[in-house]
Amino acid sequence: MIEGLVQLFLWQGLGELASKFLLPSIPGPVLGLILLVVYLVMKGEVNPQLEQVADHFRQHLGLLFVPASVGVLLFLPELKTHALAVSTALLVSVVLTIGVTAVVLKVFWYLSLKYGKGQRHE
Amino acid sequence: MNERLPISEIWVYLSGDPLFALIITLATYQLGYVLYVRAKRNPIVNPVAISVVLTCIIISVLEMPYEKYFEGAQFVHFLLGTATVALAVPIYNGFKRMKGKIFHMWVALMAGSTVSIISAVAIAQWMGASNNMVGSMYAKSVTAPIAMGIAERIHVSPTLTAVFTVITGMLGAILAPYILNALKIHQWWIRGTAIGVGAHGLGITRAFSVNEEAGIFASMAMGLNGVMSAIGLPIVLTYLRPYLGI
Repeated sequence: MIEGLVQLFLWQGLGELASKFLLPSIPGPVLGLILLVVYLVMKGEVNPQLEQVADHFRQHLGLLFVPASVGVLLFLPELKTHALAVSTALLVSVVLTIGVTAVVLKVFWYLSLKYGKGQRHE
Repeated sequence: MNERLPISEIWVYLSGDPLFALIITLATYQLGYVLYVRAKRNPIVNPVAISVVLTCIIISVLEMPYEKYFEGAQFVHFLLGTATVALAVPIYNGFKRMKGKIFHMWVALMAGSTVSIISAVAIAQWMGASNNMVGSMYAKSVTAPIAMGIAERIHVSPTLTAVFTVITGMLGAILAPYILNALKIHQWWIRGTAIGVGAHGLGITRAFSVNEEAGIFASMAMGLNGVMSAIGLPIVLTYLRPYLGI
């Protein structure tokens, strides 16, 4: 558990450094993520400690953004004024996002199976 | 209230301590999670939404300013970055399972996240939402930890972005099965990918409970979408901002 956390903190730290000195437009943790993926691909396996901690984080990711979301209190009056616009935008956008992603992927996948250079069927 | 009773002294002591904010945050989430599991992981019973609403009610009733609450809750908040780094694991595990599909996924993700941003921003703007609201629509289809990082970089409210992200996750997890069935998409990996882009965290939990392949693809799609948006959004916006008037 602790071992996995230490690894994550180290990659996060590396990412923060890279963000500060090399690529300021990308958040440090995202760079840490990219570096860790590259490392895992080179190494060819995930060690069990890291896997365990990453799994916990994924399961309870939601808890971590509660503190920030509670800040919605500060925006309540503004949200009330624009409630209809905001909810319509979110609803329509979710439907379109899921629909478009699925349809593009399906169409593109079948096109490439049909015309691709010997893609294997699965 | 004027008399200083011992109990109120204890209360004053406790409410000034970071521990109090941590207890509210964790206890309400725990309660939300228990209800969520009891409701057979029905996405309407979203543990995050329950925790946020209860915490808002509690600190409003106690007249605790948000800044004060955040002083304590920031210890939880801090782990967002670490959780983002941890997304590397599902992305890597996904890479191993989907050789030959990565390019297709990438194209679909680009299409999906472009549509997501443009539709949300355009509708919100067209219906007259304030700049604050419209700006926070940009990153809402990205998983919250990354979305908030992006929000800071593009100078929009991380709080509103987080709230919109949570609502998007709920809506997506509730609606995804209907949308995908209506479109006759039956392959689990395609369903998973669409859910990862549209419904992120909550959708993934649901995808995993229905089909493992869908869950893996959803995790990977969520991670990849987050990385792509984190890299692409600030760049695109720098060029587009003058035309959008935001």
